[in-house]
Amino acid sequence: MQKQTIVIDPVTRIEGHAKITIDIDESGKVEDAKIHVTQYRGFEKFCEGRMYTEMPALTARTCGICPVSHVVSATKAIDEILDVTPPKAGLNIRKIVNLAQILQSHTLNFYHLSCPDFIYGFDAPKEDRNIFKMMQTHPQMAKDGINLRAFGQKIIESLAGKRIHPTGLIPGGAAHKIEQSQKDEILEQVPTMLKIAQDALEFFRDNLHRFQEEIDYLGSYPSLFMAISNEERTLEHYDGKLLFMDSEGNILKDNIEPRDYKEFIGEAVEKFSYLKSPYYKPLGYPNGMYRVGALARLNIAKSCGTPVADKELIKFKALNGGKPVLNTFYYHYARLIEMIYAIEKIEELLKSDDTMSDNIKSTSTISYERGVGCSEAPRGTLFHEYHVTKDGIITGVNLIIATGNNNLAMNAGVKQVAQRFVDAKNITDGALNRVEAVIRCFDPCLSCSTHALGIISSKVEIRDHNKKIIKVIQRS
Amino acid sequence: MRVIIGYGNELRGEDAFGIDTIKELQKLELKNTKLLSMHQLTPELVLQLLDADEIVFIDVSYDAKNHYALACSLTEQNNLNLSHHISPKTIICMLKSLYTKSPKFFIYSMISKNFEKIEDAKRYKKCINRVTEHLL
Repeated sequence: MQKQTIVIDPVTRIEGHAKITIDIDESGKVEDAKIHVTQYRGFEKFCEGRMYTEMPALTARTCGICPVSHVVSATKAIDEILDVTPPKAGLNIRKIVNLAQILQSHTLNFYHLSCPDFIYGFDAPKEDRNIFKMMQTHPQMAKDGINLRAFGQKIIESLAGKRIHPTGLIPGGAAHKIEQSQKDEILEQVPTMLKIAQDALEFFRDNLHRFQEEIDYLGSYPSLFMAISNEERTLEHYDGKLLFMDSEGNILKDNIEPRDYKEFIGEAVEKFSYLKSPYYKPLGYPNGMYRVGALARLNIAKSCGTPVADKELIKFKALNGGKPVLNTFYYHYARLIEMIYAIEKIEELLKSDDTMSDNIKSTSTISYERGVGCSEAPRGTLFHEYHVTKDGIITGVNLIIATGNNNLAMNAGVKQVAQRFVDAKNITDGALNRVEAVIRCFDPCLSCSTHALGIISSKVEIRDHNKKIIKVIQRS
Repeated sequence: MRVIIGYGNELRGEDAFGIDTIKELQKLELKNTKLLSMHQLTPELVLQLLDADEIVFIDVSYDAKNHYALACSLTEQNNLNLSHHISPKTIICMLKSLYTKSPKFFIYSMISKNFEKIEDAKRYKKCINRVTEHLL
């Protein structure tokens, strides 16, 4: 048999353009598989020459899904440039809005993008693996997804001005204090939303026994994990320093100031993708592969710090006997726990007297010519680095987007799942769905991470040993 | 009640057609009509449509030919290709399946080949005016 390559193009139920190539060797076995991110944008370049004050608004346009993350990291980077510390109320407003975004983003991934696989199985006809079928057979779940996402979006709109590209988070803190009526309206919905999130987690856990093969082979491998971490190592999305942990749970390096990230993170470029491949520098490329996002955050956190999420974290950590959970499939599990955490934490922050203070922002002038802002976005650690002149003109920008951090890990996952499930002599839709599903576990936002224009699509190509395409599976 | 939804990206040239049409409609103070302007259609939008008897979607469709033609169609090429934003068809389906609501719906879509800039401001404005007149 001659070598072949399978191409999945476009990859579906993700955000952005991607295709997957699967190379088949002469014996008919999968030799290699890669995800190719086929879009390109270039925010770093066109931000140059703009005023630093524009950066939160400009970089928010990187993404329509997680603009809050970009605003948070941008404002933190400018805080550094201004050498300003936001008052407690301003910080808490930023944290609440960030958590609301994590909640709505995780909700969308679970209910709308991933649930069809969980309900109908990975081998179900592709006509059934979609939200339309789910609305027919599981209408309450579909409604729950709508209500939970609306809750997160409403918080963003209420506290930060707009659901997409919000303007209420600003350098030095927040633009508007929280009014009592806003607080009451959000808190009133907390019990219902918490119940929905708990039901979702219960549904997922009840169905896990159906997916043991996917748990074992959809990206189950050792890797490093990275997240920002606070002193107590409770689950953290805003404050703290960088921490790298290995697959055994050993801390390789902690207390890394985000501004020193370049000492520890390299960014490799591969010819086959516009998405860069960050890696942990001390271990080199590609051995320094690490994962970020919900799975990494829960592996690194000792506790969540909120009651229901803490109970769930204990069960989660038991999955691998207290050591880091290595199965990429469990990103779904981790996101569900983070959804519970987000609701509980929003409630806790809103009930804090500090949050309701009138003192919401600090002001200053340019003190430093470089600033780095780092926060945990839904998909992982997000870096914004800006260089400015003394007059505030941006002269350099580097962004490491959460999804980009997972690039090496996504490729490792695609290869593993292809080797397990793809049979060159009998290529089934279920096998190809699993290849896509491993990417969906990471919930990548490719438009965001490559800064590319584009609509949603994906593609799988099968190539022979001469890289000649012999089969293309297109989802459209 | 009638709900008119204009959606698109004002930073992407003629993709702003839906939003610019909503701006024009806002000047007219239409009775029994709610105007919504947004970046993209998302699932939770259905919660704002539960009282609607009639829904109008205003958007842009990309096509290299027929620039500035107006079309009304629910046909989709990728109805299974779901992502972080959804289509009018999905919104209507959600209303029917989940909330037993079956409002009348219409789509006004301007054909454009340019999402970089507004290529011909006069023709672009004419399209806005035509849709606005239809909705009076």
